[in-house]
Amino acid sequence: MVGAGTRGAGTLTRRGRPWFLIVPALAVVVVFFVLPYANLVAMSFLTPGKAEPYVSVPTLGNYTSALGDAFQWWILWRTLKLGFLTTLFTLLLGYPLAYNLARASSRTKGMLLVLLLSPLLVGVVIRSFGWMVLLADNGLINSVVKHWGLAPLGLKLMYNEFGVLVGTVHIYLPFMVLSLSGALQNIPPDLELAARSLGASSTMVFWRIVFPLSLPGIFAGCLLVFVLAVSSYVIPVLLGGFKVITTPLLVVQTAVDVHNWPSAAAQAVILFAASLACIGLYFRLMNRAMRGLSA
Amino acid sequence: MRRRRLARAVFLTLIALLYGFLVAPIVIVVAASLNAGRFLVFPPAGLSLQWYAKLLNSEPFVRSFFFSLRLAALTTIITTIIGTAAALYVVRHARRKDGLRMLLVAPLQLPGIMTSLALLIFYYAIGLGGTTYVGLLIGHVVVCTPYVFLTVVAVLYNFDRSLEEAARSLGAGSITTFRRITLPIIKGGVISGAVFSFITSFDQFPISLLLSGVGTTTLPIQVFDYLRFSFDPTAAAVGTVNILITLAVVLMTERLVGLESLYWGGRQ
Repeated sequence: MVGAGTRGAGTLTRRGRPWFLIVPALAVVVVFFVLPYANLVAMSFLTPGKAEPYVSVPTLGNYTSALGDAFQWWILWRTLKLGFLTTLFTLLLGYPLAYNLARASSRTKGMLLVLLLSPLLVGVVIRSFGWMVLLADNGLINSVVKHWGLAPLGLKLMYNEFGVLVGTVHIYLPFMVLSLSGALQNIPPDLELAARSLGASSTMVFWRIVFPLSLPGIFAGCLLVFVLAVSSYVIPVLLGGFKVITTPLLVVQTAVDVHNWPSAAAQAVILFAASLACIGLYFRLMNRAMRGLSA
Repeated sequence: MRRRRLARAVFLTLIALLYGFLVAPIVIVVAASLNAGRFLVFPPAGLSLQWYAKLLNSEPFVRSFFFSLRLAALTTIITTIIGTAAALYVVRHARRKDGLRMLLVAPLQLPGIMTSLALLIFYYAIGLGGTTYVGLLIGHVVVCTPYVFLTVVAVLYNFDRSLEEAARSLGAGSITTFRRITLPIIKGGVISGAVFSFITSFDQFPISLLLSGVGTTTLPIQVFDYLRFSFDPTAAAVGTVNILITLAVVLMTERLVGLESLYWGGRQ
């Protein structure tokens, strides 16, 4: 396998494969990523202990009790709804941004990219704090609203689902824009010009040419944002103020505060399964949409 | 014609508003850090540096700041080396490229908070204990390596191998070839990857949440703990310092390799 390799042109590819290059990264991902997740799934089938976090007795009890609990179903529903709404709004807001970015001159594009990526480079905790300053009961927006007498009692913008949604849409918007602009960039502008010169209105050009050709980007972007949004933790805690409990919050609470690892593991697995089910449904819908367009 | 111009104006206004939405919380954090009062109100209460003074005198914030900086630096060194090596292997030598690629970027696909929980439970199982420095460092390495891997893979795909073969045929050894030809060409990808890795580690929240403990508190965790129980503009001062560091790192990268490579590298 490891050949002695003669030196000279053209022999680079034929020499033995340098395993040592891949071993460290592979070891890290297998030992500290794959194994821990396997262990987490295994944990969900163990019995919760009284003094210790778990006892090594196999059981299905964690699943039956989680699935029989109406409260947990309700939390799961709220989590998936948050994921769905975040995806919808990032798509609606991200599309114009992505179109503008894809059609910008390379000079402007650099500047727009800085604007687009800069929020991505500031930690999620700091960005949530920014929204807290804006949305709090005695925050900036309410102080403006009260100053002008628009709503004397102020608006309830935070510590509810609205505040959480504002936060998640803000955090995941750049991801959506990057996915969309990648696809939009691959559409030759000539195509739009050709359609226009043949008499198509701009609305028609958009719905018949740009939109269908950008579907792969929409597909990828929605998938990415949904997966990220259903598992977000910081935003629901800080902008929901423990009034908007989502499944990730419940999982952490069960594991850390209640110290019940098997139940937490089962809740995590159920969240994964539910997101997978949503993604599967979404794939089927998308497939049908694509086929409908090509027909 | 006039209708089209109007439509265009409306569209550009919408774009400007959306960018405003994107940068709003960041601008607000900076404004709040310079604000005299406890809350940012309209009309503004005046300027003050009191929150920065409070920050400098707060031992937990200063300590966690330097801890995060050291942790991010160490994480970046490790991930840059192992991520670059893995990228070289996968692009040039691997038989099952797609499988390896998927495995190596898997930590980006699964939610950080779940990875954090899985690692916490795993550390107990192997007897490492929940909140050690090594455990925290490994967690950061796991989620940061994919960034380096992806950016280096992106440049390697556009690499003209004949340059290396020319060097080899002119008598350069494999180490010389790597140092003088390969490394300078893939430099952009490696630096972008390192920058992503540094920022991801420095701002890392979910991984640190469950894995950091007494003595290993990172800055984002410190800020989070603070904000969970009280609303204090000292957090805004921390945030502003954080933003300035990120800005400095990004500008340096822009100088070194250009931002486009950050964008394309990160998009892959």
